[in-house]
Amino acid sequence: MKPPPLVQSSVRIFDLSLGQMLWSRRSVFLGVLLGGPVLLALALRIVSTLYEAGFRINGVRAAGASIFGMMIWLLYLRFIVPILGVFYGTALIADEVDDKTITYLFTRPIPRRAVLFGKFLAYLACTVLLVLPSVMLVFFLVVPTGGGSIGAAFPSLVGDFGMLIAGLAAYGAVFAFVGTRVKRPLIVGLVFSFGWEPTVLLLPGYLKRLTVAYYLQALVKHEMPQDSAVSVLMQVFREVPSVAASLVCLAAIVAGTLWLSGRAVENREYVLEQ
Amino acid sequence: MTNAADPGTGIVVADHLSKWYGQVIGLNDVSVSVPPGITGLLGPNGAGKSTFMKVITGQLKPSKGTITVLGEPIWNNPSLYFRIGFCPEQDAFYDRMTGLEWVTALVRLNGLSDGDATEMAHRALEAVELTDAANKKIGAYSKGMRQRVKMAQALAHDPHLLILDEPLSGMDPIARRKTIRMVKDWARAGKSIIVSSHILHEIESMTSNILLINQGRILAEGNVHQIRDLIDEHPHTVYIRAEQTRGLARAFLAQDDVLSLRFEDEAVVVQTGRPDAFYARLTDLAASGELGAIHEVTSPDDNLQAVFKYLVKS
Repeated sequence: MKPPPLVQSSVRIFDLSLGQMLWSRRSVFLGVLLGGPVLLALALRIVSTLYEAGFRINGVRAAGASIFGMMIWLLYLRFIVPILGVFYGTALIADEVDDKTITYLFTRPIPRRAVLFGKFLAYLACTVLLVLPSVMLVFFLVVPTGGGSIGAAFPSLVGDFGMLIAGLAAYGAVFAFVGTRVKRPLIVGLVFSFGWEPTVLLLPGYLKRLTVAYYLQALVKHEMPQDSAVSVLMQVFREVPSVAASLVCLAAIVAGTLWLSGRAVENREYVLEQ
Repeated sequence: MTNAADPGTGIVVADHLSKWYGQVIGLNDVSVSVPPGITGLLGPNGAGKSTFMKVITGQLKPSKGTITVLGEPIWNNPSLYFRIGFCPEQDAFYDRMTGLEWVTALVRLNGLSDGDATEMAHRALEAVELTDAANKKIGAYSKGMRQRVKMAQALAHDPHLLILDEPLSGMDPIARRKTIRMVKDWARAGKSIIVSSHILHEIESMTSNILLINQGRILAEGNVHQIRDLIDEHPHTVYIRAEQTRGLARAFLAQDDVLSLRFEDEAVVVQTGRPDAFYARLTDLAASGELGAIHEVTSPDDNLQAVFKYLVKS
């Protein structure tokens, strides 16, 4: 008898894991974190409603769509998405090992890497379900400020979702790899996201190509507020590759790190504590 | 003493098998051939039973030597799991799932359709007498029910070889008796079963064919009766968590074979010179319900440890 195909096994692990992941303490905690941008958006909306002058950057009234774009980049892509990637990605297999439930999965007729792939898919679905309502709320609260139109800005929201999914996939795959290879994956992941990436992105040269954020920048389509400190900062960030090249690189990052993680899971022995 | 591996007839064949965890030796040059039928793996905690179980279920890779299960190497050989069912020792589950959901989800990993998987899960839960609790969350199960649902997932896909790691641990006397009967029935139905325990009495009630393991080595292999006399020289300790510990204590003290007795929280700890007779009476007491519910029966491995010390010295 041959084991079921890898895709089928992965989908079944996905079915088994999604519910567990969605209702975990981690999801509750990160769900609360995702309430942060919504509260900020609410505050902006209140300020905008109370003061006719609206929200200003360096004296210039900022359009709602621009503020939303800034929030997508600075809050979601540069902070929340890496956080989600680190906390879920590094724990894909580690959670099952800590809970001692990995035995049930590794003694079934499926390739071990199917466990990793299925759990990665569950991570992606779970984080998208967490991020989506937060982004939607922020969009509806922020875009109308400064006279913005929800209808006109809506197509860019779809693009933003695509960008966030790409970010979640890339960071999740990188940290899944870290989780299968490194002893203290959480620390390594946090250092990578909030030490290595921001530092290297500000330096000239090729090092920034060893980040995920570099490729994600190319996908940011929003016009940023001009004539401000933020716009100067954004100009630095926007030294970016083309959209096509970025998409190819992100796909390669996801495929490469997942393949390496799968190999690690296939060959590693997981000794459960007695 | 043992140990010639016989690849011709063994369902599990180890040849000079060793397993190290860094500097710690888990298994040390084990050569053994496990015959079809029921085989008991007996040894105190830390003897290497779990390491052996993990190697024969492909969770660990041998550091040295070879292991074959049903004629094939097990490490990185997922197709073998169609023919193997494993019930691990650890009390670990997806607690939010019901018993039926959990067993179905695991059987689905064998490539079965949803309908077939559900049907097989129902059958397995029926075999371990959990039909009534099938739709309850596992988190709400008693220890005995949790043990049985673990067994259900192991046998649901009708494997040829069942590997049960401490399956009776923590069960109440009635569940224990039922489980022992089930294991014997499965063997009669043609399955091979390897069952581990640190309690001779448990193994003895299922099979007379044992592997005696200590400090990572197989000390003896074959019929249980040869070491039986040695075991009998040492008092056997039984920990019983029950509703009416004082009533139970009174009933125990009336028997000759009870050597000593003490109370611990909601439990009574008894030392007996004749475990067979004691367990039989305990099961009858639990079945009659005269002295309230008996929730859990366990036995520390002090008894067996003493025998192993004796065996190693001699």
